[in-house]
Amino acid sequence: MDEVSFPVGVLFSVSGAYEQPARQGYFGAMAAIDDVNASSKYPFTLEAMHADPAGETDRYAELCRHLIRKGKTRHVVGCTTSWSRKEVIPVVEKLDALLWYPCVYEGFEVSENLVYVAACANQHLVPLLDYIVPKFGSRVMLVGSNYIWGWETNRIARDILHCSGGEILGERYVAIGDEDIAHLVSEIREKRPDFILNNLIGQSSYAFLRAYGALGAEDDAFNPACRPVVSCNLCENEVTLLGDVAAGNYTVSSYFRALASMNDGPAAGLARNGGPARIADAFFVQAYAAVVMIAEAIRRCGSDRADAVLHAVRSHFTQTPLGPIRVDPATNHVSLNAHIGRARADGDFDVVHESRGAIAPDPFLTSTPLKRPYARTVETKRTLRVVQ
Amino acid sequence: MSPARHTPNFVGWRALILHRPHDNVEALLAQCARIGIAGEAAWPAIEREAGMRDYDVLLIDADRGHDEQFPWPAGSAPMPIIALIGSEAPGRIAWSMGQGADAQLLKPIGSAGLYSALVAARESFTRRRSQEQEIASLKERLLKRQALAEATAMLMHKHDCDAGYAFNLLRKKAMAERQSIEDTAERIVAGAETDGRKNVTNGR
Repeated sequence: MDEVSFPVGVLFSVSGAYEQPARQGYFGAMAAIDDVNASSKYPFTLEAMHADPAGETDRYAELCRHLIRKGKTRHVVGCTTSWSRKEVIPVVEKLDALLWYPCVYEGFEVSENLVYVAACANQHLVPLLDYIVPKFGSRVMLVGSNYIWGWETNRIARDILHCSGGEILGERYVAIGDEDIAHLVSEIREKRPDFILNNLIGQSSYAFLRAYGALGAEDDAFNPACRPVVSCNLCENEVTLLGDVAAGNYTVSSYFRALASMNDGPAAGLARNGGPARIADAFFVQAYAAVVMIAEAIRRCGSDRADAVLHAVRSHFTQTPLGPIRVDPATNHVSLNAHIGRARADGDFDVVHESRGAIAPDPFLTSTPLKRPYARTVETKRTLRVVQ
Repeated sequence: MSPARHTPNFVGWRALILHRPHDNVEALLAQCARIGIAGEAAWPAIEREAGMRDYDVLLIDADRGHDEQFPWPAGSAPMPIIALIGSEAPGRIAWSMGQGADAQLLKPIGSAGLYSALVAARESFTRRRSQEQEIASLKERLLKRQALAEATAMLMHKHDCDAGYAFNLLRKKAMAERQSIEDTAERIVAGAETDGRKNVTNGR
């Protein structure tokens, strides 16, 4: 019998200004394709077709079109930034394909031809603030990369803090890839926020964390134990590269390597494919989960047609390293955990707060109150300080 | 904080889509559901007794819509309107704008667009409403300019004072009576009330 094979597009940049998380997506998707092909569970194989836009937003649409038209794939796993995703949406909508987007993003989007396999703001930013504000305070400095992720995530944070009795001491942006961040650090030094919400990406984020780490080493008032940097997308891979300087700062994530059970199948697969040199962090695992969802859906419906696959992932739970996942038919998003981790010098995270359960997606923030119950907890904390 | 920075929320809104049954309507109803809006479709007009005034936003069909669909004169809808445009014929665009459509969605309707259209339509509607009210009140005050001049002149004559002093008297009187200065001036001119000789007949 002929081996049936379905092509899967893998549209990640392996170079450019945000290559670290993008490469993690690439490795995660490829590892999952290898695992599916090695498994006797699937009566077919997946054929990986990688295209590398090299971090250039304007190349994504063209490459995606090529994967679908020439590569005959109906499924593309890929995109890291929101800008690149916005470029790809018209292509998959027009050509009846599905984009499986495996990165955290700001929300306010639902496309019929996208499956969102990572958190939107109510699943990352909101639980992060819910954890951090009562512990550290609500006078906040917002920093971000100068594009939609930075703008919108900070805007939501501003809105939440404004509604909840907090205060924004400053909001600063730098261009993607820009490492000139000394002015951010001096402003933080002057304004002394309770914490810094970091929506920088890639090189800018590393430069900022290094500079803030240096400030903390020089002046104890800026030690992360006192004034941490908190992020929605800083994961094990990048923290490992940063080492000491990121230690003590916080990240919210639907996946931490430290929590992953080595007993379940997918996680064991990650350990094998990831190998000692490769780190299975959230970016890796979300892309991995996207491929597993595609394979499981094809197995169930016997076809890789976009509408059939979408129907299958909406109707059944798929076991993934992120937990059992079913796509919400109304939003094409998935329910996800929101764990809070504190970075360690060795690149792993101490999980300081485990999600009480998967949080349903709310991409338009229609059922997530922006007024959070901070006031009382902040007051309690102040009282405790006095008592101590 | 400027309101534009706020996260717009339409939860609990009711939307009426005036369009014949079509995939575009289904796509709009799906978008409504995602952003917490109860959507309803009707064509050619609403049948329910309650009527169109019960909705928070109307989506009208620029291709086949007509004035008779609405229980109000063109341009005076009491809620924001979004036009659904298939043919970009200038006449149809003009018709939808004449109805008060402050935002547009191009057909075919896909999985996005309604949210931005709602934000734009609500913002423009609110701004237009408050500007209309402000203009009406300014117009009224303009009309009463003559009464203001006459009343000032009468007070100058009566108290043998200059215009500034007289106007100040008028202003204080308006404040004491909790009326606009224009209304007080009108009453003085009409002789409804004059200093020192208050409603003599009423006392009897």
